[in-house]
Amino acid sequence: MNPTLSELEADATREKAAFGGDAHIVCDNLVRIYKTEGVEVVALQGLDLVIDKGELVAIVGASGSGKSTLLNVLSGLDVPTAGVARVAGMDLLSMNAKDRLRYRRSVVGFIWQQTARNLLPYLTARENVELPMKLAGSRRGRRERAEELLELLGVASCADRKTPEMSGGQQQRVAIAVALANSPQLILADEPTGELDSETSEQVFDALRKANRELGVSVVIVTHDPLVSEQVDRTVGIRDGRTSSETLRREGAEGQIIAEEYAVLDRVGRLQLPRDFMNALEMERRVRLELESDHIGVWPAREEPSDD
Amino acid sequence: MRIWLLAREHLGTVAVLFVLTLSACLLVAGLPRATQSSYDEALRRSLSDAPAVQADLTVAVESRGRGEDFLERAQFDSRERLWRELLPPHLRPLTAAGGHMSAKTTLTPITGTGGGTYLNLGWLSDADRRVKWVQGREPGAPATMRYEGRTIPVFEAGVVAEALRELNLRIGQTVMIGENDYAAVKLVGVFEAVSPGDRSWSHDDDLLNVTKIQPPGSLDFEKHVTALLSDAGLRALSGEGRNLTYRWVLPIDARAADALAVPDLQAAVAEFDRVVGLQTTGSPYRVVTGLPKLLGDFLAALSTAQTVVYLVLGGLLAVALGVILLAAQLLADRLDHALTLARARGGALRQVAGTAAGLTALAVVPGAVIGYALSYLVPGPVLPVVHAGPLVVVLVAVGFAAVRLALVHRTPLHERRDDVAAARPTAKRLTFEVLVVALALVGAYLLRARGLDASAGQDPFLLVVPVALTVAAALITLRCYPYPLRLFARLAARGRAAVPFLGLTRAARARAASVLPVLILLPALAVAVFAAVVSDGIATTQRVASWQQVGAPIRITSGLEIPAEAIERVRALPGVERVVPAQTGRVQVGFGAERAEAIAVDVAQWRRLLDDAPFDLPPLPDGGALVSPELRGRGTFEIGWQKRAKVDTRGVIDSVPGFFTRGKFMIVPLSVQVRPAVNTLLVQGDVAISELARLVPTGSVTSQKEALAAIQDDPLTGTVRWALVVVTVALAVYALLAVVLSLVIGAAERGRAVSFLRTLGLSERQAQRLTVLEILPMILVTALVGLGLGLGLPAALGPAVDLSSYAGDLPVGDYSPDLFLPSALAAGLAVVAVLGAYAHTAISRRRSLGAVLRVGDLV
Repeated sequence: MNPTLSELEADATREKAAFGGDAHIVCDNLVRIYKTEGVEVVALQGLDLVIDKGELVAIVGASGSGKSTLLNVLSGLDVPTAGVARVAGMDLLSMNAKDRLRYRRSVVGFIWQQTARNLLPYLTARENVELPMKLAGSRRGRRERAEELLELLGVASCADRKTPEMSGGQQQRVAIAVALANSPQLILADEPTGELDSETSEQVFDALRKANRELGVSVVIVTHDPLVSEQVDRTVGIRDGRTSSETLRREGAEGQIIAEEYAVLDRVGRLQLPRDFMNALEMERRVRLELESDHIGVWPAREEPSDD
Repeated sequence: MRIWLLAREHLGTVAVLFVLTLSACLLVAGLPRATQSSYDEALRRSLSDAPAVQADLTVAVESRGRGEDFLERAQFDSRERLWRELLPPHLRPLTAAGGHMSAKTTLTPITGTGGGTYLNLGWLSDADRRVKWVQGREPGAPATMRYEGRTIPVFEAGVVAEALRELNLRIGQTVMIGENDYAAVKLVGVFEAVSPGDRSWSHDDDLLNVTKIQPPGSLDFEKHVTALLSDAGLRALSGEGRNLTYRWVLPIDARAADALAVPDLQAAVAEFDRVVGLQTTGSPYRVVTGLPKLLGDFLAALSTAQTVVYLVLGGLLAVALGVILLAAQLLADRLDHALTLARARGGALRQVAGTAAGLTALAVVPGAVIGYALSYLVPGPVLPVVHAGPLVVVLVAVGFAAVRLALVHRTPLHERRDDVAAARPTAKRLTFEVLVVALALVGAYLLRARGLDASAGQDPFLLVVPVALTVAAALITLRCYPYPLRLFARLAARGRAAVPFLGLTRAARARAASVLPVLILLPALAVAVFAAVVSDGIATTQRVASWQQVGAPIRITSGLEIPAEAIERVRALPGVERVVPAQTGRVQVGFGAERAEAIAVDVAQWRRLLDDAPFDLPPLPDGGALVSPELRGRGTFEIGWQKRAKVDTRGVIDSVPGFFTRGKFMIVPLSVQVRPAVNTLLVQGDVAISELARLVPTGSVTSQKEALAAIQDDPLTGTVRWALVVVTVALAVYALLAVVLSLVIGAAERGRAVSFLRTLGLSERQAQRLTVLEILPMILVTALVGLGLGLGLPAALGPAVDLSSYAGDLPVGDYSPDLFLPSALAAGLAVVAVLGAYAHTAISRRRSLGAVLRVGDLV
């Protein structure tokens, strides 16, 4: 039976449960388009992502898939073109400059890939950690807080050293301390181990995990490093500006880690099939779906019967 | 953020900014002081060179009867005090103490001479100080006598010796004066001036010299002289029946003159005249002075000097500011990493911009303060611009740093994508630029058509037009110079060599950062070339003027004939190379009353004297004559000069340098005279003037070098040329700095590009050539446009800027096409740019490729 007009109206005005509910990070159909003279680059094309508070998530993807753009958006450095992006209840699209500044000061901390970019070379490690606190205008306890963080991350010995006097791993751990300086709820790290050898990477990753476990901070890491992605609870794959897959890890009954890879189903029912699956069965343009009792089967399109 | 820490980190850049600000503030505050002090000097000299009677303030009143007579010295004194009290405040510092008072009759005839001889009576308040009695005695009290039935006064008076001789008088003689109201003058003594050279005598020249006047239509001379009375004589001197004038002389102290106060002084003189006039009881009191005219003439010369100096100083300020901004940009670029990080980590825009402004201020403010303080070592008055200049420099530098960084960091993530696409100009901007260019051209045309309004003082229009022309040239350059470059790049792309193609392509795609160097280089070169051309034009015209004044390297003129043996002695003098005798005189043209000035001379020899001179005389064959335009078209005519001679017009000349410039004049060969009475010698050689003067005692010797020195010695002329030279040098230095700074600013980016290309196989030599090729087009194009603009400005403004008062009153119009200095400036700039580019690549070579590329990944 067709709904009446009043029913449609009531339906339209009824508040729907928001996508993602009260998750810590919610991206819904996020779009970011870079416009340069005459050329549009769509970096994010309707990305969906939900991350809960206290999660440790890795984002992986090929170069140019939109990982860094997503991180820039989440860190409040960049404004998305359309969609929804909410972090800790704050809407990143509708924030004004002042809100954005407050957001960067107290909600989010981040770490760039290049060690040199995270720290000012002429300041000591402690001064670098104190800098965000100074910028935010906090007056008391800066020194104690800085030392506490450096201690927590295992670089207390470097407190009075300047950047060039520290190893790459130490620099990145100090950078994590800098990111944690104003007690953010979320830490974003863009390839934090990209420039480091595997052993040092391990230390840096440990530091991030420590921050996640001990301070309860949500951590989102963009990485290429399989070492990192294998150690997080959830790995989100991004392809062509969309989330394409998720890998969940859980401990099995015998204590071994079981990794299960899922394809991501968006709200309107779209699904990205892994490219090698499609290639293996020579699926293109059209597939056949069949609903079974507990799954949906996907078959290559049947050969059209010829006339003869 | 800790600004001092940042300053320590970027010490080099901060030091550059500091030094630039210091030098700019010193120039901007010091040069106006120096020029103003030379204006003052020029005013003082023009006041002290003028005769005292012209410069001093004289209050005069005529007595028309007994009631208006001043008989006692005390009456004069009380009036003098009154005048000094009435002096307007502006005039008070200028008037010196001292001065004197006088009472003199005029046109007092000696009875029975029929108006041919006048013996005036005069009294000086300070005669006892200024004259000494050399014959007879000082005059005493007057007596009386009976004459034609009336009792008349007998004044005792003294005269100068010249008066006794000229008027046929003798000591002890009693002369009757007056035609109706008679008086007797008994000459009791002869006086002379204690110091005849004293300026104050110019007020009382009639006492020292006999004035001869030839009345119109008369062949005889009237002779006037004034006889000096004693104080007692003053008591008997009445304005009744005589033209008696009392004068109070308030001398002007030229040392206290101040060029800035000149307009006030002119008003003050008028005011003084008004208040003095109000004191009138009988005959009107009036102020007699040539001061306003002197000041007016000075102002006219000053206004041109100021215009030129303001033009070049304004250019200098603009260029200095530009270079400072370039250095501030360098500092901002160096701060970029720290500020980007701070902004991303939660720094407010205010904090980021404040840090940049604070650091810039840390460099700029001490520099400005020291520069400002150093400018006090420059002698001269403190003008408002002395304070304003450094303030403007500081405000612009700090404001630029703050605003620029605030704009850059408005959004925390600033990714420059200039590498992808160049911003295309909007229609609005293009329209605006076309408008500016059109306005500049129309302004230049109007200025040429109108000329300079000297009476209005500073002409703002004149100051605006060159600025507009420079901006227009800069806009056209910026807009157009990539096009030919792209063409070249396309041609280079077909060639086999990669370096020209890469270099030209990079140059054509240069970032907007190259706008600032163009905006600096262009005015720097334009103003420097303008200054050089104007300075050169003045120098050339001064030389022409000096030759026109003298007509030969050395000229000896004499009122009497110079004897042949004297000429031989001159010829024999060591150092004398050539002597050309000549005779000047007034000749009868034809048989009527027409007269003309003539010089008889061997023109061929004279021409040889003028080898070094900036002008030439046409050759003159025997029996011919060169005539002035007013005498043209007569063909063969007769002249009467000692004997009658026929001359044939062989050419027309506008002037005879050193002799005649207007009216009727001619040059005839010396052979016209049967026995030339040589009264002029034209001499060439390296010989002392005093030596020549000794050999020809009757003659006066002038030399071209002396005349040139006299023209150049004028303080205003000196100031204009000196300011032009200082500004030229400063601008050249600034231009070089701009090149170096823009090289340094682009260094990191260029270093990355070169390193990348080197991984593709670019050799070091190729890398150097690439850098040079990249920077050279901008320098070359800007240098050429600046050169053209600088050469064009004097021509464009020529009719509007009258520099004749600096060049011996000859108009400075012929801006010589001497391109040496301007071209040297432009070429020097290009060479330094090339050297800088080479040095730059040589330095960056020391960094390992890996390090550079790794750094390159960062941004």
